[in-house]
Amino acid sequence: MNLAKLKPGQKGKITAIGSIGPLKRRLMDMGVLVGEEVKVLKVAPLGDPIEVSIKSYNLSLRKKEAEGIAVEVAG
Amino acid sequence: MSTQLKYQDEEEANGETGGRADQARTITVAVAGNPNSGKSTLINAIAGTRLHVGNWAGVTVEKKEALFDFGGRKIRLVDLPGTYSLSPYSQEEIVARDYLVHERPDLIINVVDSTNLERNLYLTVQIMELGIPVVMALNIYDEAQEKGYRIDVKGIEEMLGIAVVPTSATRKTGLDDLLKTVLEVADAPKRRVPKKLNYGEDIETASEHVAKTFKISYPALLERYPQRWLLLKLMEQDSHVMKELNLEDQGFLDQALSHLRRAHGDDIESIMADARYSLASGLTREILHKPELRQTELTEKIDRVVLNRFLGIPIFMAAMWLLFKLTFDLSAPFGDWLGSMTEGPFKRWASAILTPLGAPDWTVSLVNDGVIAGVGSVIVFVPVIFAMMFFITFLEGSGYMARAAFVMDRTMHAIGLHGKSFIPMLLGFGCNVPGIYATRTLENPKDKVLTALLVPLMSCGARLPVYVLFVAVFFPNNSSTVIWSLYVMGILLAVLMGLIFKKTLFRGEAPMFIMELPPYRMPSLHSLCVHTWEKGKHFLIKAGTYIFAVSVLVWFMLNLPWGVEHKRDSYLGQAGAAIAPIFEPVGFGNWEAASSLITGVIAKEIVVGTMGEIYAPKKEEQEEVPTLQEDLKEIVTSFGAACKSAVSTLLYLPGEEEQEEDLSGLKLAIQGGFTPLTSYAFMAFVLLYMPCVVAIAAMRQEFGTWKWAVVGFVYQTALAWAVALIIYQGGRLLGIGG
Repeated sequence: MNLAKLKPGQKGKITAIGSIGPLKRRLMDMGVLVGEEVKVLKVAPLGDPIEVSIKSYNLSLRKKEAEGIAVEVAG
Repeated sequence: MSTQLKYQDEEEANGETGGRADQARTITVAVAGNPNSGKSTLINAIAGTRLHVGNWAGVTVEKKEALFDFGGRKIRLVDLPGTYSLSPYSQEEIVARDYLVHERPDLIINVVDSTNLERNLYLTVQIMELGIPVVMALNIYDEAQEKGYRIDVKGIEEMLGIAVVPTSATRKTGLDDLLKTVLEVADAPKRRVPKKLNYGEDIETASEHVAKTFKISYPALLERYPQRWLLLKLMEQDSHVMKELNLEDQGFLDQALSHLRRAHGDDIESIMADARYSLASGLTREILHKPELRQTELTEKIDRVVLNRFLGIPIFMAAMWLLFKLTFDLSAPFGDWLGSMTEGPFKRWASAILTPLGAPDWTVSLVNDGVIAGVGSVIVFVPVIFAMMFFITFLEGSGYMARAAFVMDRTMHAIGLHGKSFIPMLLGFGCNVPGIYATRTLENPKDKVLTALLVPLMSCGARLPVYVLFVAVFFPNNSSTVIWSLYVMGILLAVLMGLIFKKTLFRGEAPMFIMELPPYRMPSLHSLCVHTWEKGKHFLIKAGTYIFAVSVLVWFMLNLPWGVEHKRDSYLGQAGAAIAPIFEPVGFGNWEAASSLITGVIAKEIVVGTMGEIYAPKKEEQEEVPTLQEDLKEIVTSFGAACKSAVSTLLYLPGEEEQEEDLSGLKLAIQGGFTPLTSYAFMAFVLLYMPCVVAIAAMRQEFGTWKWAVVGFVYQTALAWAVALIIYQGGRLLGIGG
């Protein structure tokens, strides 16, 4: 399961970050870390990107970027 | 070079000697913080109009600085780019860390968003690694309190060893305390050196190993950098630092890190990010108490509508329409007013002063048609730049800009751009210049430059008079279709060029989107005005100089050798004749067209004016010269009319019809010089060829280098020629006739 597949309202726990290099570092700098809880809030009107809530703030990222983030669905 | 400074020496110099000489010293303060932490507002509130805006050397990143007195001391504020981290992957982050490491300010103000402590503290942890005294501005403190957050300020001070001051930049509270604390810390830096935070046993042990070997192999390097920071960067194998150090032997690193790698099975960068975030989270848990019951926040409520699946796009469109309307319609009457002032009264006054002094005709003409007209061509842009900056800054500060990017990204990404590229492109249809300035909202320099290169393909208002003239003569029955086709041509070519640039000039990693959607906030009017004023002033002085110089140059070309009877013999006519053969294959290889294109570099609508002068010179008319009183009265009343007109366009009151200039003579003349096919090729050429000098100056100024302005100049002119060639030769092949 990856973050791009979660539906709005669904929560997940990050289990791995598959991206590499600058993308991975940027994600981690924004608080997207293994073990962190993430909730999908919205999908943009045209279907991409998505908005998630993490570390008590809101982050948007493209689906392609979210695909590299493995999650375990929780609740 | 300051990089050669030995750190130890500097620290001694900054010590607690507190002598009299120290009091006179300027205190250099770097301001660092996350985007959306209210950092700009804070700086605007402290420094106001004393801010100087420029670029960091060699990069497209804005630099703001201010020098001012406080408490009898001189303080120099240096605003670092807003960043979430100090990684080696973005220009902003590299600029910020290079400044901190190599220029070594006396202290750092770390602006922190109190409503979003954890992620902000992640940057704080990294800043503390540098060993420079830190004063934390706990900003947006008022909002945190309203939300019921309780923050243990003393607790942060104790745990991090830094001074902490609650502030609210929008309400201007805590700013005096902040500056007082800055002075205190500057005078006793040793007492306020940030604590060395413990990154966990594994990292600390590895760091000791690295330190041991490094001290033996490269003792000189350790003196040039903050030690703790350098060790951590070595362990992360930070690409930027590794390149800078250029170590011969890196084997010792692998050895020292092998245990860490084995224990965590991950790359070291991730381990470090984890360690830093754990510190930030741990600290947040200790010092922040949030109320149990969380209310639905305003931002959430607004977003439910604004980002709604069905309403999102219509709302976005409406917002864009409003932005466009406010920027151009509101500013246009004032631009016209400034223009008519330089055209009429200023020129008359100059003549009235110069002629009685016995100034020769050419001096009067140089002053009037060169200097004053040059100044005029600069100042007519001022209202639109001010209006654009004001509204763009409002959109950014309010938080809607991020939503606009969120809504539009799908479409813009398809052509290789960022969601935020939409607004500069849209503004480009009004005028390319504010469009280019609006690229500042894009964070990634690649996106920024690419967008700015494509903005001039949007058909701006200045091209319209050229189209209108030509379609009236050659396509009277389907004029709107022809004009529409030119707008579409610009857009399609922007898409095409975007794809080509992506594959050539901007190859490599596609920029990412990962972007914070900050809470909606009302930006402070003061900060908006300061920001708008800064940019407007900067435009007038910096871009204005180039534009002015080019207008004067064109005057010389038009009027020299002095006393030319026929425009053909002026330098402009000669230059036009010289380059005319280039336009032979595209259908308008005559000196008249070529000369008009040359003057069109000032602003594309001038093409029409020059054609008028060449094809249908006006007879000197003896006008009645108004008196000084009449002129002054006219300036005041026309300003009143401009205000009225600005208001009425907003409210949609019918205004007075503009009087059309009489162009019948010119229309007749160009009928002989062009055919429908060559006129279409000519219009396409005017649309595409080099951006006007104002747009070029804007690019030069925004990006701090001529490079991109030159790239824009070359590619557009080549593109224009190629497209005109295809139209003309293709048309002839199809038998449309040349």
